[in-house]
Amino acid sequence: MIFWEIAKRNIRIHMLRSTLAMLGIVIGVVAIASMGILGNSLVSTVSDSLKSVGDSVIVTPYTGGGGGMGQSGGGGGIGGGSSGSLKLSDQNFQQIKRVVAPNKAILVYLTSEHMKIGVGGDDIVATVYGLPSDDVPDLMKLQAGDYNNGNSGCLVGPTFAKDHNLKVGSRISMGTDGSKGTLRVTGIIEERGMSFDISTDNAIVVTQAWFENTYNRNGDYDEVVVKVKTGDTADVKTAIEKQLNKRKDNKIVSVMDSKATLSSIYATFGTVTTFVTAIGGISMIVAGVSIFNIMMMSVNERIKEIGIMRSIGTQKREVMSMFIYEAAIIGVIGSIIGGIFSVFAGYAISALMLSTIKYLFTVANAFSVGEGVCFGIVVCLACGIYPAWQAANLNPIDALRHE
Amino acid sequence: MQPVIQFEDVVKIYPLKAGDVTALNHISFEVQRGEFISIMGPSGSGKSTLLNLIGCLDTPTSGDIFVSGTRVRAMNDVELTKLRRDRIGFVFQYFNLFPLLNVIENVNFPQMLKSGKDVNPDKAKEVLHAVQLEEQFYTHTSTELSGGQQQRVAVARALINDPDILLCDEPTGNLDSKTGASIMELMTELNRKGATIICVTHDPTVAKYSDRTIRIVDGCIAS
Repeated sequence: MIFWEIAKRNIRIHMLRSTLAMLGIVIGVVAIASMGILGNSLVSTVSDSLKSVGDSVIVTPYTGGGGGMGQSGGGGGIGGGSSGSLKLSDQNFQQIKRVVAPNKAILVYLTSEHMKIGVGGDDIVATVYGLPSDDVPDLMKLQAGDYNNGNSGCLVGPTFAKDHNLKVGSRISMGTDGSKGTLRVTGIIEERGMSFDISTDNAIVVTQAWFENTYNRNGDYDEVVVKVKTGDTADVKTAIEKQLNKRKDNKIVSVMDSKATLSSIYATFGTVTTFVTAIGGISMIVAGVSIFNIMMMSVNERIKEIGIMRSIGTQKREVMSMFIYEAAIIGVIGSIIGGIFSVFAGYAISALMLSTIKYLFTVANAFSVGEGVCFGIVVCLACGIYPAWQAANLNPIDALRHE
Repeated sequence: MQPVIQFEDVVKIYPLKAGDVTALNHISFEVQRGEFISIMGPSGSGKSTLLNLIGCLDTPTSGDIFVSGTRVRAMNDVELTKLRRDRIGFVFQYFNLFPLLNVIENVNFPQMLKSGKDVNPDKAKEVLHAVQLEEQFYTHTSTELSGGQQQRVAVARALINDPDILLCDEPTGNLDSKTGASIMELMTELNRKGATIICVTHDPTVAKYSDRTIRIVDGCIAS
């Protein structure tokens, strides 16, 4: 098609001008796509950190503050419970068990304790969870050893094990000067990341019996975790609240639906991603203005040529197409180059800000790059439409007279 | 025989802020197929307005114009553009070739507008041969050609769609006398082969090549 050819040649003879316009688009696409990649990678990082949360409902004693998040706990997780005076009674636990059946309710003891690793080791303080042995596999997986830890065995979190050079078979003296006995490590827990129920990465997990005997605790639990396999977490939450918080002026429990909390976290990150992408979009608008500018220049330089074309029988739409092709060529080439560069920019951002590139090659990031490329092309076309329309609607007589 | 161009009481008024200007005042004339007409007149007499109306670049304020029997006044922009493409060949004073295209592409341009991809690849060479441009220049751009060569290419471009009328606006105005004479001989040759030529000029030498001359003075036909 002759108009396509003319558009190409016009770009070629104004190579510097066209290249600068393309550069604007490249920067715009890189800004949008790399901001999108950053947002997506942040979401992926958080998702990975919260992957163990699953479909849980966490029940903690009511503190008057609403949900279970933010309670003071000895290094526990987000909803790590309390080692203070507020506890859930065994009666509460039994009620929860009945309400959530057939889903499993798991009682959780929690405290922090002084301990020493090996002979002459330093005194350290770490979180200790007490869990019923049978329920431990429902809450965590092991990377080494086994669950069958007897009464004096314990499981340790991966970070804790790594920091203190612990292996299966290592021994930990509990309490100041070993006053609470010695535990043998029978298993290393798989990394769970941040979680709403229990955070075991830097903790140790002991049996319910050992915990109750050692700390003289019985039937006063720090939290109850419900693993929801049947039904919806929101329904389970409502059922527990309905049963235990019958009196509005005397609430007994705070219930947190992990799924709903996760959704709101993801929604927040989604908003942040949209916001930073929109900031990147500003550079695209600037690029669009420069495209508009060079298209207007192109039209002004070629008024006479347009007049000749129109006088020898070129239709308005054909004149328009010639300028649209020009904008499209700049837009497509600039956007594709921008798309390629945005992968490198995404690599650099991921490596520098998140210290990992494992979230770079994801569908969401491919979508962000595609989105940036498409937006670049659309902006170029949109900015080419008015100059093209103006060119097409020039009066052929006036255009022919133009010098 | 139906005239190629027929003006019936044509008036063209330009409404300006300072007041209306009557560029053409009740003009009527006919041009028969195969005629070679020159239109002459002093500056501001209405020659250019007449040329624009014959070339369907403009429409009259009143009166009727028929091009090859088609009433121009009732046509919209798309139809007028099509009429220009298919029935009229334009030759300009300043050649007006497309600088981005070479000779063959310039000549083929109107054919591409008319036929899209189905252009006759030999047609451009035929018309370039008819205007006596050597083959060695076919791949040159307009800037690599002399004025006379450029005007030959412009004539070839005007002829490619076999128009009913060849409309020339001062075709020798930008050429030296020798080259101008050769272009006018080319026009005469084309006219002998059957082309209808309307040539707007104020050069009496050019007018000598025509069969008859229409003189315009103050928007009216003087003779």
